[in-house]
Amino acid sequence: MESAALGQEPVSLGARRFRVLAAIGPMERVGIALVFLITLVALLVPLIAPHGPYETIGPAYQPPGHYGLLGTDEVGRDLFSRLLYGMRASWFSALAVVAAGALIGFAVGLLAGVRGGWVDTALMRITDAGLALPGPIIAIAVAVALGPSLVHTLIAVTVVWWPWYARIVRAEARAIVVRPHFDAARLAGAGGLRLAVRHVMPGALPAVVIAASVDLGYLILTLAGLSFLGLGAPPPAPELGAMAYQGLNALFSFPWIPLAPAVAVFVLAAAANMAGDGLRDLLEDV
Amino acid sequence: MASPSASDPQSPVASVPSAASDPSAASVRGLDLRLPGGVHALRGVDLEIGKGEIVSLVGESGSGKTMLGLSLLGLAPAEARFGGEAWLGDTEMCAADEDERRLARRAHAGAVFQDPMTSLNPTMKIGAQIGEAAASREAVVEALEQVGFPEPARRLNQYPHELSGGLRQRVMIAMAIVRRPSLILLDEPTTALDVTLQRTTLRLLRRLRDELGMAMLFITHDLAVAGEVADRAVVLYGGRIAETGTPRDVFTSPSHPYTAGLLGSRLALAGGDRDEELETLAGEPPDPRQPPPGCPFEPRCSFARAECARELPPLVPASRHGGSDACLRSVEIAPQLEEGARAARRSTAAADVAPKTDESSAALTVTGLDKSFRSRRHTHRAVASVSLAVPAGGALALVGESGCGKTTILRIAVGLERADRGEVAIGSGGRPQMVFQDAGSSLTPWLTVGALLEERLRGQGLDGEGRSRRIEETLTMVGLSSEVATTRPGRLSGGQRQRVALARAVIVPPALLACDEPTSALDVSLAAVVINLLRRLRRELGVALLFVTHDLAVARAIADEIAVMAAGEIVERGPADEVLERPRSDEAKRLLEAVPSLERTWT
Repeated sequence: MESAALGQEPVSLGARRFRVLAAIGPMERVGIALVFLITLVALLVPLIAPHGPYETIGPAYQPPGHYGLLGTDEVGRDLFSRLLYGMRASWFSALAVVAAGALIGFAVGLLAGVRGGWVDTALMRITDAGLALPGPIIAIAVAVALGPSLVHTLIAVTVVWWPWYARIVRAEARAIVVRPHFDAARLAGAGGLRLAVRHVMPGALPAVVIAASVDLGYLILTLAGLSFLGLGAPPPAPELGAMAYQGLNALFSFPWIPLAPAVAVFVLAAAANMAGDGLRDLLEDV
Repeated sequence: MASPSASDPQSPVASVPSAASDPSAASVRGLDLRLPGGVHALRGVDLEIGKGEIVSLVGESGSGKTMLGLSLLGLAPAEARFGGEAWLGDTEMCAADEDERRLARRAHAGAVFQDPMTSLNPTMKIGAQIGEAAASREAVVEALEQVGFPEPARRLNQYPHELSGGLRQRVMIAMAIVRRPSLILLDEPTTALDVTLQRTTLRLLRRLRDELGMAMLFITHDLAVAGEVADRAVVLYGGRIAETGTPRDVFTSPSHPYTAGLLGSRLALAGGDRDEELETLAGEPPDPRQPPPGCPFEPRCSFARAECARELPPLVPASRHGGSDACLRSVEIAPQLEEGARAARRSTAAADVAPKTDESSAALTVTGLDKSFRSRRHTHRAVASVSLAVPAGGALALVGESGCGKTTILRIAVGLERADRGEVAIGSGGRPQMVFQDAGSSLTPWLTVGALLEERLRGQGLDGEGRSRRIEETLTMVGLSSEVATTRPGRLSGGQRQRVALARAVIVPPALLACDEPTSALDVSLAAVVINLLRRLRRELGVALLFVTHDLAVARAIADEIAVMAAGEIVERGPADEVLERPRSDEAKRLLEAVPSLERTWT
């Protein structure tokens, strides 16, 4: 009598997921599709670019259509190929900063959130100090100290970027550790690392993914801005910001040379932002 | 008002004896409600609520009782598709547009929901919050006076978080009555309260009805609460009315097998053999997406015949009382239902073997326990020099009102909290485990049941195959199929989750199993299943239980001994039956007095 079998009727979540997916607006869907497309293209650039980024293919300042799709730049290199390489560099740089920031953020935030007490206080003060650093000035300082290079810029940006993620992870972790399932896991004998990684981290993941996807667009703009100021890879490296800066004095005579990289930055940032919004809708509703 | 439609599946309408000539406060006729995802929540319900009548709507979760209430107020989800009619005053709420429904609500209805904390706006002072519905400050103060709120004029400027749970509930009720509506919807208003507060609230509601003459639709899963408060009881099952009549009729001489089954799985404060298995209803409520074509209770009914699976039973005059029932065979089976009620009092052949308690060794010894919680302004002494012991294989229930410190003791005993002073000694055996009040939230939502169970098997020297065999055995022991191991908790029903929580606790038998109100959030029949399961685990695994509850009937059903707590101290302690039959402390008497009991209501 007592083991009266409770009906085995798993509730299907499939229908709900589908509805949420349908709830994402058309702009967001375009964004998500573009992000996939951009990532794919960025991966395949060495195969699909008609020329190398440093290769001179003809006279300088050729208009679009002559010597390649977008013409040539001030030294006679293929503008289209350099644009592709520049997008690849911007995209992967932004991804790298987000990934590094999220990684450090998870480590610090989980430690602070799960341990609590003085560990939490100490780590959060360090985080606050990180938040107070002005990004571009740190980047300039690093460039001055170590010499301009893409890696140095990325390190500088990461230094000011991770505290945001640490804050988010810590806030989520604090909310999760007071839920009964955390106590239950403690009683089940899970140790510190296991508790943090298995019983807390997956709960903080959606918030971090949302933050990261929204950040991606902002990071692309920041990195392009720093590169425009000469704080990225030194010339002749194909970087969108630097390309726009170098083409600047040709703005009125050959406008496509500075404008093409600017438009590319805009497309990358807009796609990342739209995808971020879509992802947020998706994760917040589920 | 419209007459019942011709296609009405459950005619005749359950009539209201007192209000036959009066227009009713609200009524539904042939109400049918479908929700997206194919959920058929209501399937042709007829109900009339007379002016000044308290109707209690009783049913398990998923029976459609909340949807019925929300439909009457025009608050059902926007995607809901209706059939039939729901009248509130002179507005038909199913067809009315948003504005009409809002006007009808403002004019005729008030509502009180289960959780007073989440139903109140935490950023608004209570005076302003009630004032949103009231014409004047005087009206607000008057409403608060009527609900027995102490010093209302002075406390209008308090925020909800400054009030106790009971006072918040009064604020909710004051908000509901301030406009003098003709109908108040109360959805499980006392479920989150302890027994003494529950008793006070029920009395308050009856008094308000007597003084102000409002009709109430009282939704609950607790039969005894329904019996205590209502003029008429309506038992809902599978989106249809199973039985209706005066509470006395329905709950003392049920004529529908479902009502009879529910009554059989209730816990009593006296009589019967405590070691006997509680009667439970086999199976689970029907899937609201695929309701059976015939009687919704047919798959679980021991009296079912072939015709029950084919025909939808109409609501007809009841076989055993003056109300109505929806059972094709109710006349035939009436003698058996009567016999069944008597048999429930007798011992059955499959009687439990009394649990083995080993008095010589202790599963838990607690001596001189002190625990205080400090906030910025003051120190709250939660536990004050408490000593207690649970013998190996024994069961001790800690009972008391909310805030008496019982849960704190539990958390200290299992090691989740540290005591300020005092000693805790755990007997030999696995580390202590705990079953939480809300089993669902104690299961990590993103891990599968198998992973949750496996976690406890780490360090037990079992290989992968041994572990999966052990997981399967444990799931079987708590009455789940082994397929559950691959699902996540979110896909399980409430009862399944409770079983998973129990399985995790006992997969490595602990020296002590601490339970924090494991049945308070469950439907009657599910509570009986869990209590039987706890008893069996105790019997078969020799697990000692430390049990926290505010429900003395649950304490009696599980524990050998009861310790009554008040303000952080144990005020009385003794064998379960002795405490219940001859309570010595005021606290025990008060708790006992407050337990709603069908027997006491009519004897």
